[in-house]
Parts: sequence; structure tokens; C-alpha cells
Amino acid sequence: MFSNLINSLVVISIVFIFLFSLLLVFKWLLFSSQWGVVTQNLPLYAFGVFPVDQRWRPCLWLLILAFLSIVTIFKPRWSWFGKVLPIAWVGVIPLGVGLLSGGLGLLPVESRHWGGFTLTILLMSCSALLAFPLGIMFAIGRQSKLPLIKYFSALYIDALRAVPLISILFFGQLLIPLFLPLGVEINRVSRAVISFTLFVAAYIAEDIRGGWQAIPNSQLEASKALGLSQAQTIRFIILPQALTIALPALTNQAIGLLQNTSLMSILGLVELLGISRSILANPVFIGRYIEVYVWLAGIYWVICTVMALLLRQLEEKVSIQRRIRKNV
Amino acid sequence: MRSLLTGMLSITMLLAGCATTGEKQFSRLDLIKQRNSLICGVSGKIPGFSFLNSDGTYQGIDVDICKAFAAAFLGDPDKVQYRPLTAAERFTAIRTGEIDLLSRNTTLNLSRDASGGNSLTFAPVVFHDGQGLMVKKNSAIKTLSDLSKESICVGSGTTTEQNINDAFESISVSYTPIKYQDLNQVVAGYLQGRCMAMTSDRSQLAAARSGFRKPQDHVILPDVLSKEPLAPASLGGDHRLSDAMRWVIYSLISAEEQGITKENINEKLIQAKNNPQLKQLRRFLGVEGNLGEKLGLEDKFVVNVIQATGNYGQIYNRHLGPNSDVPIPRGLNELHTNGGVQISPPFN
Repeated sequence: MFSNLINSLVVISIVFIFLFSLLLVFKWLLFSSQWGVVTQNLPLYAFGVFPVDQRWRPCLWLLILAFLSIVTIFKPRWSWFGKVLPIAWVGVIPLGVGLLSGGLGLLPVESRHWGGFTLTILLMSCSALLAFPLGIMFAIGRQSKLPLIKYFSALYIDALRAVPLISILFFGQLLIPLFLPLGVEINRVSRAVISFTLFVAAYIAEDIRGGWQAIPNSQLEASKALGLSQAQTIRFIILPQALTIALPALTNQAIGLLQNTSLMSILGLVELLGISRSILANPVFIGRYIEVYVWLAGIYWVICTVMALLLRQLEEKVSIQRRIRKNV
Repeated sequence: MRSLLTGMLSITMLLAGCATTGEKQFSRLDLIKQRNSLICGVSGKIPGFSFLNSDGTYQGIDVDICKAFAAAFLGDPDKVQYRPLTAAERFTAIRTGEIDLLSRNTTLNLSRDASGGNSLTFAPVVFHDGQGLMVKKNSAIKTLSDLSKESICVGSGTTTEQNINDAFESISVSYTPIKYQDLNQVVAGYLQGRCMAMTSDRSQLAAARSGFRKPQDHVILPDVLSKEPLAPASLGGDHRLSDAMRWVIYSLISAEEQGITKENINEKLIQAKNNPQLKQLRRFLGVEGNLGEKLGLEDKFVVNVIQATGNYGQIYNRHLGPNSDVPIPRGLNELHTNGGVQISPPFN
């Protein structure tokens, strides 16, 4: 580090710059930041403009999600739990939609009241849940021997990957309503979920294709020799392995999807970023940009970290099962 | 397959048929009354005009205009559903019927009004915005010509830049533009003292100033360099709704002209009821005649509006007045009697 004059100078100046910026950050944190813009608006960040007397519904859903995340990450040794957990994770998403929209004895709340953190999570989870099977379908379609299916899947995947996400979102928000006949209205949240689903499905399909191609051809020949049908080969040989191999890439997609939901703030949805911009327009909080964006960065960091941890658990679980199967 | 196709075709034709026959007699006003709530498109992101309060309610001058409409149409200012819209979405939202009307600082201009353009119908202007200049209070700059040979911070590539150039050229004064990419940078440049003045729309200048450490040290010059008349809008061709909207705005202005406020409206109403001589007031407040009925509203719609929001001046002062958080000098938005352009036709 201090081998010659230039090296020492570089090291010293880097240390100096680092300490100086640290000092500035602390000075800002301690003296000039005002966190009222965050603390006074916590319910807005969490639930948006959801009716006050119904806020327990998004709150309950977030608590269930938090509970599921904690038990998944810390893995208590209840044997029945391992079987229930995947079903719970899939089931909690429609449950969230049900809790937010109401019906079945709950007061119906229209989607334009949804907002904040809840809406961000909902957009991400619904899109992911729908895009995953769709992506698998397109991945299988692309490997199909039927030319129509094969070329349609390839065309879809390549077309969607060649278009920027923001233009698909604009298409969904601005053009779909114009094409629909008068009186038929798909709400804005559903339109956003549809746009995200269509977009992400193309990427998921490509990730799975990556996993698919990593499987040696000899396995397919072996399954043919054993008399397995095409469907059985895909179901029992290819998909379990392809999905496992593709899992890290799929994790990437999930995290990217979460961050992309913030694009909806420029299309009028009041998700986490959108609600923050609305709060910043309140004359009482004008100019408190830095506090709000630091706070947002913190929230996004926490969600992404939790998601990464959850999917790491999934990776581990899948690979252990693989090892057991190998041993048997 | 073929029967499926014909079936789909007939359904589409049926829907299209409904769409055209439905549009002719049915006014959006009936739909609002039937639904018993007004869906109002707002921005939700503009200080003083519409923003989200900590308790989750929308506030601002645009929001109060929505409340006035709801009070007039439905008799209750709280029967409004606010839908936050971005600038790009607003016209789609109104065309597809997602919202009933737009109260989202939309500039009135020909192509938005014309049926060959956005095909909207605008209510009277509720806020005359325009490009302005902000300077430091102690800088001895009082008018545009005082800025001769000084530097001015401006956002580049915008009409803002063009307008200021035109304005200085017309009075043959030279200045140095210091160009920035967006408004936040313009503000930062101005605060760092790189220029004597900064320019943008007056409402934006006022909003930016509210965020300054010492807002009172900066003044917005009275010169207005461009016209940005902001008005509520509804879909063109719906005369009953647009007429009703027009006269709700006029009632706000007329109330200020007559000195009727939120506080004294009940007093005035009693006065009008007891004194048959006050013909004009009686007509205005719906004690006599059927002005409201002609619009498809209650005769006492003016009373409902003023009780809910107060008159135009009160709405203005609440959100943009000298004691508010985003003070903007009234300028053109004063009544015609005080040197502005706000005037209401007679309620006859």
C-alpha cells in the first residue's frame, strides 16, 4: 500500500475522501435532515389512500407475508411445515387480492384506492405468479417440434424482448382502454399486471431455455429409450432440472420485476414511488427530497434482500432434494 | 369455428350499437347523479394545486374545484373520487370515460378544445398561470428591464427558454441565459448565485420557493411572459355537463364579485328570502326563478357550492394566497374590478 510515493498519496487521498464524505453524511443525518416527511406519512407509504377504517386488510396481508418470510428464512423444524409452505406462498397472493378488493362480506374497495408499499408488493407478486407458468409454456413451445407453436413462441419471445418495458407499460395504460368497447373497463392495476406479466414471461422463457439446454442430450435419449412420452420427458426429466439450473436467473428476474414496478409511478399508479412523489408535493414537505429518497432506497433494499434470502432458501431446498434423489 | 366467429362478430356489433345509441341522449351529468359520486381527474403532485395530505386526503385549488362541482351536482362536496393522473394519461382517461371531468392544471388552447384535436370542452379558466421570473428581494430588480446584461437561469430546450428570449428581444434588452437540463438544476443554480434571476411558470416558481430555507428573501416579479390559462375540462359534445361546469365556476367568481363568502352565505340567504327587492341575489341563490333547473341542477346549487368551498377568492387564498404555503401573487386572477381578468356573466 505504501510501497512508493504515488501509492501512498493515492491511498491517503482515498482515505481522506472517504472520511470526508462520511463526515458530510453524518452531518446531514444529525443536523440538517428532517424526518417528519417520513414519520408523519407512514400509513400513506404503507397503504396509500386505502380507506382508513379498512386499513387492517392490507395490514393483515403484509403481516401474513412477513410471517411467511420469517418462517421460510429461519426454518423451524416442523415436519408438516415443509409441505404446507409452498402452497401457502402461492395461496397468499390471491388472498392478498381478495383482501384488498373485498367482496365475500368484506366492503369492496376499488383498485384506485390501493397504493403504497402494498401495491408495490401486489404488482410484483401477481405479475410473477402469472408470468411464471406463461414463461414455462413459451419455453416448452419454443422447443416444440410443431412449427406453428415453435415459431409463434419464438416470435413472441423475440418481439417482447426487443421492446422496452416502458413502452409496453404505456401501451397497457393508454392504448388498451381505447381499444376496449365503451363501458368495458379493465382497471389500471390489472392493466399494469397484464403488461408486466407479458413482458416478464418472455424473459423467464429465455432463462428456462438456458436451463433446458444445459441438460445433456443423452438424458433425453435415455428417457426415449425407456419409453417415456414427450410430455413425460418434459414433466419428469427436463423441467425439474431446467428450473433448478435457471433458478438464480429467475431470482434476478423477480428482483428486477420488483424494481420495475416503480416505473408505474410515471403512469399514475400511486405505488411506493408514486405515493412518495404525491407526498413531496405537499407544501409542508416541499424540498425534503433527500429524506424521502433515502427512505425509499432503504425500503427497496430491505424488500430485495428479503426476496433474495427467500429464493436462496428455495435454491437450497431444490438442490438438497436433488442430492437425495441421486443417493436413492 | 365459423359459428364462433359470427358469434363474436355479432357481439362486437351489439356492443358498438350500444355505444352509439347511448351517447346521443345520455349526459355524463345523469351518470354522475346516478352513481351519486363524481370521478375527478387530478394531478396529485403539484403543490398548491393538488397534493396528498398526511391524512390521505387530496388538497389544493384543483381539488376544491372538484368539491365545488360535487356540491353543485350532488349537494355534497365529499362525494368525489379523486383519480391521480399523469400529463400523458389525462386525455385517454377522459376519452375512455374513466373519469367524469379533468381538474388537473390543463392549459386551454385551440387544439385541445377543437373536435379535430383532443375534442374537449373547457370550463372558465380557474388559474391564469404564465412564465415569470424570481429574484432575490435585496437585488433592486423590480422589472424585466432591470435585468439588462444580467444572467438568468433557465431550463434548456423548453418553451420557457424561447419565451424569455422573445420577451427580452421585444424590449431590446440583452441578457445572458444560463441553461440547465431541468427545473431542479435551475433552482440549484439560482440558489448558488450563478444568476440574478430564474425563470419558469409562476406556479412552479412559487412551489420551488416554498422549499427554500428563507422563502421570504425571494420575490416573483409581476411580469408575465406567457399565457398558461388552466381550466377544468370535460369531454366535448356533452353540453349539459359542460354548461353545468361553466356556471359552477362562474358562480364562484360571481360570489366574490357580490361579496358572498362561505361565512356569510347563510346570512345572505336569509336576507334574500326576507327581502323580495333583492331580485339579483334571489335569482343567484335560487330563491326565485329556476336558473339551476335550466342547467339540470338544483335551484340552490350556488348555495351548496359556496357553503362547501367559499367563493373563488377564498379558494385562491386558501391554497395560493399570501398566508398559504405556496404564495403566488394573484395578478391576472384578480377580479376585473381589481385589475385582473376574472369576470362572471350575469346570472339571468
